[in-house]
Amino acid sequence: MNRLIEGGILIWLGLAILVAFLIAIPYFASDYWITLFILVFIFAVYASGWNLFSGLTGYTNFGLAWFIGVSGYVSSLLIADYGFFWLLAWPIGAVFTSIISIGVGHILLRIKGVYFAISMVALTEGTRELFGTKYFAPITHGGLGVPFVAGIQLPTLYWAILALAFCTVIICYKVFSSKYGLRLMTIREDEQGAETLGIHTTREKITAFILSAFLVGLAGSIHFTYQNYIDPSFAFNINLTLTPIVMTLFGGIGTVFGPLIGAILFTFIHEILWAEVTQLYMAVFGAILMGLILFFPQGLLGWMKEKGILPKNRKL
Amino acid sequence: MMERGNQEILTTEGLVTGYGKMEILHGISLSVHSGEIVALIGPNGAGKSTVLKAVAGILKVNSGKVSFKGKDITNHPPHRIVERGLSFNPQGRVIFPDMNVQEHLDMGAWTIKDRLKKEEALERIYNLFPWLMEKKKRKAKQMSGGEQQMLSLARALMIQPKILLLDEPSLGLSPKWVQTVFEKIVEIKESGIPCLIVEQKAALVLEYSDYGYVLEMGNNRFEGSGQSLLTNPDVRRLYLGG
Repeated sequence: MNRLIEGGILIWLGLAILVAFLIAIPYFASDYWITLFILVFIFAVYASGWNLFSGLTGYTNFGLAWFIGVSGYVSSLLIADYGFFWLLAWPIGAVFTSIISIGVGHILLRIKGVYFAISMVALTEGTRELFGTKYFAPITHGGLGVPFVAGIQLPTLYWAILALAFCTVIICYKVFSSKYGLRLMTIREDEQGAETLGIHTTREKITAFILSAFLVGLAGSIHFTYQNYIDPSFAFNINLTLTPIVMTLFGGIGTVFGPLIGAILFTFIHEILWAEVTQLYMAVFGAILMGLILFFPQGLLGWMKEKGILPKNRKL
Repeated sequence: MMERGNQEILTTEGLVTGYGKMEILHGISLSVHSGEIVALIGPNGAGKSTVLKAVAGILKVNSGKVSFKGKDITNHPPHRIVERGLSFNPQGRVIFPDMNVQEHLDMGAWTIKDRLKKEEALERIYNLFPWLMEKKKRKAKQMSGGEQQMLSLARALMIQPKILLLDEPSLGLSPKWVQTVFEKIVEIKESGIPCLIVEQKAALVLEYSDYGYVLEMGNNRFEGSGQSLLTNPDVRRLYLGG
């Protein structure tokens, strides 16, 4: 018992030091490192947000870029054309995305399996096309895109995304260890069975979908503010969907910390390969990914739980 | 006809339903009275499981009526029907492999909002299934088929239902477990919860049943007390193998 408590204190102490270190990064690191960490945390939120919905309910969402793009567009246009302050524009973008997601969820979440996945791809691609047409151009500026300056300093942006990533992980932890999380899991395991237990599956799916849309949308807003630019093919890029999914598989699907760890490892491996073997990096990266899927299908965290390195606990 | 318990808990009148364009039930009428185990038997494809799904609200009813405790529940959403006290245990036991015993029971009781009531329910279940207590933290995938069936039964009882619907409780179980499960069902009935059971093992379920319905091709064929169906020469010849 004593050892357990000591272990707990050590873990908390370690976490506190880690958080302090992350907060302090802009004071000593170069802009390159700050930028790298900004991207890590943006993708950590994307991956965690994806995992929160898809990892728990088993509904594979191939339209993550739709959340990112819609929220990114709303906040970017508010900043560029209406002079909104960034801190106000971001949540408006995310809330807007969440509200539309209620309607989208009501329609698309009745479709199961691969059909749901395809319908989300179609939604994303359709919106991308639509935003580039002359009908939407008066609002979206069409395919030309929107360059803008939000007037935010790099360290401030870093702290904002760090705070969001931190909150996202806490929310994931809370959801995964709650009855609500269990109910979502029953949908993944056997949706009809869940209904026979009196679980209102449509409502549970939609709330998780909205929560995911909000977190991912918020990160999307920050992403495009950081880029100072948005256009349709950039905002609704399929890579914005695929990369977080790969990160999640990398770290461990359906685990709390898997997506975060996946995002960190993925980004750094990517960066090292890109710097060291520029000509070959995609090939090497592909080989690493294949190896991971072959030998660690449960992801890093899943594998560590399997081997007993980590406790088989849903709170991890 | 035999005298049945005076209070009708569940009735269906002229139930018509199916999957897509295919009509499976062409007007099924049956009833479950208080204090009864009612068996629903018939050959493959007779529509036995379909009746349960339609009653539980999982399948849309095209015409006909389902009443539960005197109230019309036709085409109500499944979670509303569960809240009214109808517990449905589908075929294949619906065990979530990665969840442990405690979590299964929690899920079974999740419609109960009151914390105290929930604890009472847990205590009641652990009294009825004492061995579950020792396996609280055991994951469902590490349990035998019989244990899973019992867990499934326990979970269905968490809401203290007014009726229990069971689809093939004997499926894939060893003879010893089948007997254990059915003895438990009798115990449940005696505690005041009537059961409607769909079973492939017709002779077996009729032994334990107070009343039974025989379906054929989506229609009512015979009905009567468990004993009378067991001894009915037509039923014996057609469904019980001579």
